[in-house]
Amino acid sequence: MRAPGSDKGVAAGDVLLAVDNVSLNFGGVKAITDVSFDIRKGEIRAIIGPNGAGKTSMLNVINGFYHPQQGRITYRGETRQKMRPYVAASQGISRTFQNVALFKGMSTLDNIMAGRTLKMRGSFFWQLFRHGPAMREEIEHRKVVEEIIDFLEIQAIRKTPVGKLPYGLQKRVELGRALAMEPDLLLLDEPMAGMNLEEKEDMSRFIIDVNNQYGTTIALIEHDIGVVMDLSDRIVVLEYGRKIADGTPDQVKSDQTVIDAYLGVPH
Amino acid sequence: MAAASTRDDTFPKLLIRNAQTRGARPAVRHKDLGIWQTWTWAEVHDLCRAYAAALHALGLQKGETIAIVGSNRPRLYWSMMAAQMLGAIPVPVYADSVADEMAYVLAHADVKLAAVEDQEQVDKLLSIADRLPNLRHVLYDEDRGLRDYDHTRLHGIEAMLRKGAELLRTDAAAALDAAIAFGKGEDLGVILYTSGTTGRPKGVMLSYDNVLISARNGCLFDKLDETEETIAYLPLAWVGDHIFSYAQSLVAGFCVNCPESPDTVVEDRREIGTTYAFAPPRVYENLLTLTMVRMEDAAPFKRRLFHYFLDVAKRVGEPILNGEAVSAKDRLLYGLGEMLVYGPLKNRFGFSRIKVAYTAGEAIGPEIFRFFRSLGINLKQLYGQTEAAVYVTMQPDAEIRADTVGRPAPDVEVRIADNGEVMFRSPGVFLAYYKDPEATAKTKTPDGWVHSGDAGFFDATGHLKIIDRAKDVGKMRDGSLFPPKYIENKLKFYSNIKEVVAFGDGQDYVACFINIDLTAVGNWAERNNIVYASYQELAGHPQVYDMIARHVDEVNRSLAVEPMMGGAQVRRFLILHKELDADDGELTRTQKVRRGFIAERYAPLVTALYDGSPEADIRTEVTFEDGRKGVIAARVKIRDCAAHPVAAPTPVMEHAA
Repeated sequence: MRAPGSDKGVAAGDVLLAVDNVSLNFGGVKAITDVSFDIRKGEIRAIIGPNGAGKTSMLNVINGFYHPQQGRITYRGETRQKMRPYVAASQGISRTFQNVALFKGMSTLDNIMAGRTLKMRGSFFWQLFRHGPAMREEIEHRKVVEEIIDFLEIQAIRKTPVGKLPYGLQKRVELGRALAMEPDLLLLDEPMAGMNLEEKEDMSRFIIDVNNQYGTTIALIEHDIGVVMDLSDRIVVLEYGRKIADGTPDQVKSDQTVIDAYLGVPH
Repeated sequence: MAAASTRDDTFPKLLIRNAQTRGARPAVRHKDLGIWQTWTWAEVHDLCRAYAAALHALGLQKGETIAIVGSNRPRLYWSMMAAQMLGAIPVPVYADSVADEMAYVLAHADVKLAAVEDQEQVDKLLSIADRLPNLRHVLYDEDRGLRDYDHTRLHGIEAMLRKGAELLRTDAAAALDAAIAFGKGEDLGVILYTSGTTGRPKGVMLSYDNVLISARNGCLFDKLDETEETIAYLPLAWVGDHIFSYAQSLVAGFCVNCPESPDTVVEDRREIGTTYAFAPPRVYENLLTLTMVRMEDAAPFKRRLFHYFLDVAKRVGEPILNGEAVSAKDRLLYGLGEMLVYGPLKNRFGFSRIKVAYTAGEAIGPEIFRFFRSLGINLKQLYGQTEAAVYVTMQPDAEIRADTVGRPAPDVEVRIADNGEVMFRSPGVFLAYYKDPEATAKTKTPDGWVHSGDAGFFDATGHLKIIDRAKDVGKMRDGSLFPPKYIENKLKFYSNIKEVVAFGDGQDYVACFINIDLTAVGNWAERNNIVYASYQELAGHPQVYDMIARHVDEVNRSLAVEPMMGGAQVRRFLILHKELDADDGELTRTQKVRRGFIAERYAPLVTALYDGSPEADIRTEVTFEDGRKGVIAARVKIRDCAAHPVAAPTPVMEHAA
């Protein structure tokens, strides 16, 4: 994988992605209302909030799956209102999903290899025969994939069809596929949902290691507040589609609106 | 031979010999990024020299100790070698021991340096650093996650190797040569801490002679040579791994293969095709259980084929392996079975090219033992101890039985003390326990005999039979013998039973705790449409109790046949609601039960076993992997079992204990 800091144009600590006054409606339902925040290069940014607060919608807006009715998104200094997911992907935004979305019948190796699709340059002709430049290229990609397998410690399931794997491992494979794109910005939608304590600890360590070793910027949604407070550098709190707080874990923890949103207010 | 042994009397000298005589042959392989990486003897030699030079520059002196913590990786083995080049002493430690256990061992061993595998071990060491005032530097193999750590006392082994190679271009080379030449056979070579079945771990000091002579005898006994392939996957701290994956590799010059990760051992073994294997009974048990479970799910035709040829193998496999006369028809059938069943199965196990495989550490189930032998795998038993540099007794070819551990190994004298304890004397006998003259005096007599702590006897054919730990063999109230392990092992031979703890010392009858095997029983439950949500629920299921009761009854029947053991039939048992776990202190790191501790922890259950109550409540604290604690509460049922009439004792009988 690529060494950190090779991302041209944006230095560590600068704004990598900014969301300005974004609103998103589905008919009469307001999923997101006038939300602004930014994600800085190299940080772990968490988006939290109660159920239905618009967290996943926000991720979908960022990677171009949903198109907001209002507002702008600035990624690496380029402002846009609409973007297709594959364009986002080719610009270095990759993600995992709340409900694992892997190719169940394919092996771990092939799933992660699929994450390299956008990096494939070989011509269709050679690919067809798996020969010459296509073979050389495949070896290159396989090397990257093997490094990811080693990184995530999933050697033992390299050739196992992912459908047969327990949920915690599937989540790990999905992270592997997202990493295979060598992303600048990694979006993780509840990477630890449904995991036991040990799996959560493993996953936390992988997230920190990805951030640490490859300098990948990470935006994550997570419900386990303990995990979020430990992992993230800054946290955005959403409630009913609005931003109610934004800051370091300590600031957010002591914020009265956040406490009210999470614990309820006496009436 | 004599001349050679004075010249090559340390591991560093053996490495030099191997680099000179078989420099281009593979010495070590490690699967990395999915591809086997190979180092030849010449390469290993150069790397270890460089490493030693760098260790010297870090200040490691002759006589100082260096801890080795991690799984079986080439660089950790090289850490041992590099330390020994300087006359320093490696102290391999169980990598999965919790911080507290590790702190005790490392502090006791006065380690100055530690070579560890990865961040996990670095973190563990940092967390106990304040209890290790002598620890100066920590070296790591895998750099992931360690980028932002303070590197004043932390060094990557990779960088050390580079630095060492540079140092060797200066005058460091001559000093290193001198240090290697200075090493002698009688020097302390390694300190191996026993796993602590009883009390605190003790540091067994073994000289180069101890380890080398034992290793050499082992190689001669089984005619091992440089073409062997073995896989290194057992804990580095265990004497077995030290002999089989380190010493014997250097003595015979064969290649040691390090698996990609602890989870891939079976697959890796299959790719390599080991010729020499070593495993505790548990590993063979698991292979067999897995095979049987898979066959249950196989298509009917395949299943029938499998069972048919397995029966053939059961009948004629062992005689063929032992070179006995077998009819031509059976040989033909066996040959067909080899093509259709045994061959593919051995390929799965990674035993296609196996020359000899050993099991030791605990008794192996006769069924399991015979299964592997009937497939044509030369599986043997040996009896050994850390204090003996492994070998005490071994089974020579064609004299192999499931219930004995063989004849005294070459150069080893064995005798049975009056109290039934096995005692031995050999060139492999350890120097002393590190910093513990009292324990040394208790274990080793002035004339070199060692109390093994095990009770046993020689049978009519001159083979040793171990029945139990000498101090564990108790007496029941009516005076009959109570050998807990003997009973436990008989029960554990059933694949549904994973662990057993027997009670009976000073009591009226024998009673026991049973742990079911989740893989085997879970599969059985699935086939019988028994629904369960947790281990606890399955363990308490009446049908599971029925099944276990049948096993207990069979064991009682077999105990009744032996006059000496007939009084020790199991009269009551219960199935524990949780698996016994090393993290809770219930098992040792080598997975042996700590009987005393368990009796204390589950005192209400033990009481209930003897007061006749049909069930009992228990609350136990459990430790999770991160050190947090929780409480498990359960109501456990107790079953009664019938005793069978005991066979009359034969007039002449040898009392073993």
